[in-house]
Amino acid sequence: MSEIVLENLGKTFGDFTALADMNLTIANGEFMALLGPSGCGKSTTMNMIAGMLRPSTGAIRFNGRDIVDVPMAKRGVGFVFQNYAIFTHMSVRENLAYGPRAQGVAAAEITKRVQAFAELLQLETMLDRPAAGLSVNILQRLAIGRSAILEPAIFLLDEPLSNVDAAFRAVMRSELKSLQGQFGQTMVYVTHDQLEAMTMADRIAVMDHGKLLQVGTPLEIYNNPADAFVARFIGAPGMNILEGTLTRHADTVSAEVAGLGSVTLSPAMQGAAALQAAREVQIGFRPEQINAADQGLTMQVTFVERIGARTIVHMEQGASLAKAVLPADVPPPVAGDAWTFAVPDDAIRLFDPVTGRALGGRTH
Amino acid sequence: MQRAIPFEIFRYAVILGIVAISLVPTLWMVSMAFKPIAEWSAAGADLTWWPRNPTLDNFRFIFGQSSTDLIVALERTAGRPILASLLTATFGTLIAMTAGTAAAYGLSRFGQGGNLPLALIQLRLFPPMAVMIPVMIMWSFLGLIDNWFGLSLIYGIVTLPFAFWLMKTFFDDMPREIEDAALVEGCTRWRVFVRVTLPMMRPALASSALFVFILNWSDYLIALLLTTRDWATIPVYMASLSSSMTGQLYGAKAALGVIAAVPPIIMGIAIQKHLVRGLTFGALKE
Repeated sequence: MSEIVLENLGKTFGDFTALADMNLTIANGEFMALLGPSGCGKSTTMNMIAGMLRPSTGAIRFNGRDIVDVPMAKRGVGFVFQNYAIFTHMSVRENLAYGPRAQGVAAAEITKRVQAFAELLQLETMLDRPAAGLSVNILQRLAIGRSAILEPAIFLLDEPLSNVDAAFRAVMRSELKSLQGQFGQTMVYVTHDQLEAMTMADRIAVMDHGKLLQVGTPLEIYNNPADAFVARFIGAPGMNILEGTLTRHADTVSAEVAGLGSVTLSPAMQGAAALQAAREVQIGFRPEQINAADQGLTMQVTFVERIGARTIVHMEQGASLAKAVLPADVPPPVAGDAWTFAVPDDAIRLFDPVTGRALGGRTH
Repeated sequence: MQRAIPFEIFRYAVILGIVAISLVPTLWMVSMAFKPIAEWSAAGADLTWWPRNPTLDNFRFIFGQSSTDLIVALERTAGRPILASLLTATFGTLIAMTAGTAAAYGLSRFGQGGNLPLALIQLRLFPPMAVMIPVMIMWSFLGLIDNWFGLSLIYGIVTLPFAFWLMKTFFDDMPREIEDAALVEGCTRWRVFVRVTLPMMRPALASSALFVFILNWSDYLIALLLTTRDWATIPVYMASLSSSMTGQLYGAKAALGVIAAVPPIIMGIAIQKHLVRGLTFGALKE
């Protein structure tokens, strides 16, 4: 049992607030990704969980016990660093054996575990090679092994795949996921790569500027972003967000996008939107949900990107920018032309232009 | 890259000139060390690049075997000064490296210490002569004059700033993740320092120690002031190699110079691997 609870957690460095008022519960055995751009406070959060940093405010509880005063050696967490942190003066075998030895595990048991983990991570052939001079892919595998060999109940990974090459990253994504399946640890995974978060995590915590913006399953976050930042950050490309005005009709509410046309809101959205009728909003919709149409929004096509399975259409009109993602078999518009497209009403999301928070009910 | 031939000729000429300026005196010393008295004391016209009758007389002479040609016997042989130099330079280096490494690690990892780094480097800002007289009085009061440990202690103190600054730069450059990784796996701070930090710092320790050792080894001023007879070091002893009849004993000095060059060269070769490799933390992203 290893549940992690962060309570009003905050960290300041002098005048700079790295993290403010973070509340998050990570369930036992859960794979939680902390996702955000660099400087959003995700690594700070992680370092506080590991014990490398002391929180300025708030509490961290493992299974109900406040561990802020427990030194990091006694927290029983495994930590994988972005920069591997391999002891280069030791061999691969010595690196793997380092943690168990420090914790006083019997020699026979260490030999057994080193063998088992070397097989699991396909390191058997290089056990006696010096760690200096191994490739980055191998080093990161070794770093994961060195932490995993202690079988920690809590496993913290700080951008472990950001230095390895793309092909290896894909391999490691599935290996990490199966490693967790095998040992059932609670995993906290810090990343700025949404693909890693979306593919591996049970839940994702999206952060920006030291604030937790939304916690949810990958699909919840993709479909119903709680915030305009989350909407733009998740998805490749991210959600289109255009400035608009709500207009009340007899029985419907529509959203006018200045100079582009108007879109109708879904019944579910209208219920909430009606409360704020005739006011400024931000209108969001995913590029993947755009279809060519006779009526709807019209924008100037600036540039068409063909990337195999999909085509990305870049559009602009006045100060507004948007993108559309079309399947490869749909003939794309031509750059330089005006293009009219429709957005299904249940794909529309509204955001407050001042606070960025989502307005209206959830539709998915 | 293709360069013009005249430029290449010029470039090599400059390199050759610099090499000659720095190496010819050394060559001259070695050559002189193997010349009999007639050759090194000869009037200018007879000086040759290479000894015509190579001999080990100069070496025998400084170790107490009176030469037939040189009608002087040495009051003291070179054995004792060589021992004094080895002992004081080694212990001085040990003191400076131990204290310097500990101070550098503490300051680099735990931050505080305020102006200590600058205060330490200030020890080197004024001329040593300015402090040596007071030090001499203190040392004499403490009974540390003409003692190997008295001289070692002052060597340790004087070279401490170098050891400290060198090691601090190396510690600052060493990524903390490596230590954090060991800490999170259950190691104590001390164990991390001894088992992880110091072994990874071996190249840094080796090059700093060599640098500090050479400083101590080549000191003349401090040894001159703090030793009188028993523990005079090689440079002090070398200055005394003269006689009223022949003046400066250049042959003997050259022979002693050759011997004095040996320990730093041996150390340099021993740690060459580290010096060449420098600090490569291969396991970390640059």
